[in-house]
Amino acid sequence: MLVFAISDKGGTGRSVTSSNIVYRRALRGNDVCYLDFDFGSPTAGAIFNVSTAERGTDRGGMHSYLQEKVAEPYRVDVWTSSDRSALRGKPPGAGQLVLLPGDSSGGEFPTVPSVVQQCVRLFLRLDEEFDLCLVDLSAGRSYAADMVLAATARPELAAIPFRWLVYHRWTRQHIIAAAGLVYERRGLLDVGAAHGHDKRRLAEQIRFVRTAVVEPSSPDLSALRSTQLAWLDECNRDLHELAGRNRVGRTAMLGKVPLDPVLQWREQIIVDEDVYASQIANEGTTRAFDDLATKIFDERAWEGL
Amino acid sequence: MLIMGEVHTGLLRNLGELSETECREVLRLTSGEEPRTWQRPLLYAISPDVLTGVDCRLPSSSGARIRGTGTVSHRATIVGGRVLQGSSYTTLLRSDSDQRLPWSHYLAAPGVVEVYGRPRWQDMADGFVTPEPPMDVLNVGAISGRLMGAVQDSARLDRKTPFKTTRTRLRWLFERDDARGDGRPAMRLTLGRDTMRTLRFTGEPTTDVVAFCEDLALHDWLLTTLQTLIQRALIGTAAPAQIAARLSPAIDHLLHLWMPGARVEEPFLPFWEELERHPGFTRQWTSSVARIRDQITVNTLSLLSVTESRREADGDPSPRRGVPQDRTQSHSHPVRRRIFFRADQRSRRRS
Ligand SMILES: Nc1ncnc2c1ncn2[C@@H]1O[C@H](COP(=O)(O)OP(=O)(O)O)[C@@H](O)[C@H]1O
Ligand SMILES: [Mg+2]
Repeated sequence: MLVFAISDKGGTGRSVTSSNIVYRRALRGNDVCYLDFDFGSPTAGAIFNVSTAERGTDRGGMHSYLQEKVAEPYRVDVWTSSDRSALRGKPPGAGQLVLLPGDSSGGEFPTVPSVVQQCVRLFLRLDEEFDLCLVDLSAGRSYAADMVLAATARPELAAIPFRWLVYHRWTRQHIIAAAGLVYERRGLLDVGAAHGHDKRRLAEQIRFVRTAVVEPSSPDLSALRSTQLAWLDECNRDLHELAGRNRVGRTAMLGKVPLDPVLQWREQIIVDEDVYASQIANEGTTRAFDDLATKIFDERAWEGL
Repeated sequence: MLIMGEVHTGLLRNLGELSETECREVLRLTSGEEPRTWQRPLLYAISPDVLTGVDCRLPSSSGARIRGTGTVSHRATIVGGRVLQGSSYTTLLRSDSDQRLPWSHYLAAPGVVEVYGRPRWQDMADGFVTPEPPMDVLNVGAISGRLMGAVQDSARLDRKTPFKTTRTRLRWLFERDDARGDGRPAMRLTLGRDTMRTLRFTGEPTTDVVAFCEDLALHDWLLTTLQTLIQRALIGTAAPAQIAARLSPAIDHLLHLWMPGARVEEPFLPFWEELERHPGFTRQWTSSVARIRDQITVNTLSLLSVTESRREADGDPSPRRGVPQDRTQSHSHPVRRRIFFRADQRSRRRS
């Protein structure tokens, strides 16, 4: 399974949420890999605390591989290479957790046919080994998004299922931007169709993920005055209405992740220790990640809209 | 002189096992020439050696800038219609010239790279086995990787994997046995922390060494893959049915492929014998296989007790009613077959 993670804006929580999703699938025994296609700013190494790939690698990362400068992409085994003790050492029954970092000196490059072909090769190669390949794309309309839309339309990849996660924060601007990224002119559906995807079928493979959500009913907000709560409640209702109108509503949503104090301060994987031992992170956050990790593979969550 | 190579091993990207004809078709595409095949003791298909010209920096642990020119041989092998190997190797020899000669000179000695200057073999050998050599030195592993890709991308394959597996890489280095000269094999196999293994050994140089390395790489991959399946099955924690399901790829695709030494020439058999003593390849394999079979039996028994109690509830003592006789033969899944077999015995005992 290929999962593409995209967002219209930067800083939505796309990388952090995606990393936590693959981590939770690995814990459940799946072989997973995380591909850093955010060619402008490769950062996935930092989230997994892999210092050798903190800002990408100079040993043949994703860019070098796609441009055929190296035969095999550089890979990092998180269970053996992470500097964080909670991530080092594969837990019993866990699957592989592999990071394919970007190049430290990368930058975008245009989608030429040879690059698309190499991308197809990469996805086939990884499908041999991994149950889940999560591809972290850059924010907005990028060459990377264009390339994977072209690649997944190719007959060679017909047997490999793919899905899209569109991340956005729960604000007016983010809701409108996320909808635009998918539905507007030159959005994902348009570009996908131009590459030969069936627009309706492609739309069925796209779901939205809300990040850093504050629920007005949350006990964290119990200190607010009742007028403030009433106001929040009203805003929230407006947002739901706006989301529904923009086809980003509940039915198109795969899940939502609550605002977490730890993630607000640091981009990281939330391990059980953070929740139960040191109690710095919220249980609701890991539950949300787990829920997303389940739904990615749950056919019922991907039935026609 | 030194012979160095790297073998990559992985599962062929095809749902079913390939027949001999299909193996030939797939491999023909990589070299354009007719592959060789063997039927016994297992189906082997090997593409003819193909050459890649190289003119580049050579490995060195001291960081010395040594260069060489020549060719690297590579070939692809399919074992049992199921496992793919990409293998590349070259012999490093001292060049009589200190500059590049016409290509015809190098083509006259296929699979040889001539080293300029005064080669320090030990330094080159150490450089070759370091986990992350500089990006600009000769990388025979990249050639093996490319070869694997070329076969896996073949349109003759359905590009579906029966189960997920990791490729392993065996980087090997064969040195002439000058120092000891007592004819006894000396070798060191090291498992890296990821999928890389390194093998250094000494002896009388011959290219038969390649077949030995491929055979070792194959069995190391089988063992690695089996261990992974066992580890994921969570024996002792998960439910029997779940464990059996997680182990079933081993039974369906791997267990019959274990034949260490099958393709190895006489002079290299002592190396296998040494590996059997330490670390004990077949010992580990046999105990893993026993473990898998035990788990499958446990699951079968628990399935049986379920069906048995259902049958008693239905008041139907006959376990095979309505099942055509040949079903038991035609069904290829060993788990199922065993259920029928035991059910047979029971019904006979009852009547
Ligand atoms: N659920 C959350 N709660 C609070 N902060 C979050 C949450 N998810 C992500 N963040 C923070 O938001 C910032 C941007 O996240 P990041 O994953 O880097 O975004 P992107 O990849 O979309 O640019 C980071 O500082 C991250 O820690
Ligand atoms: Mg990011």
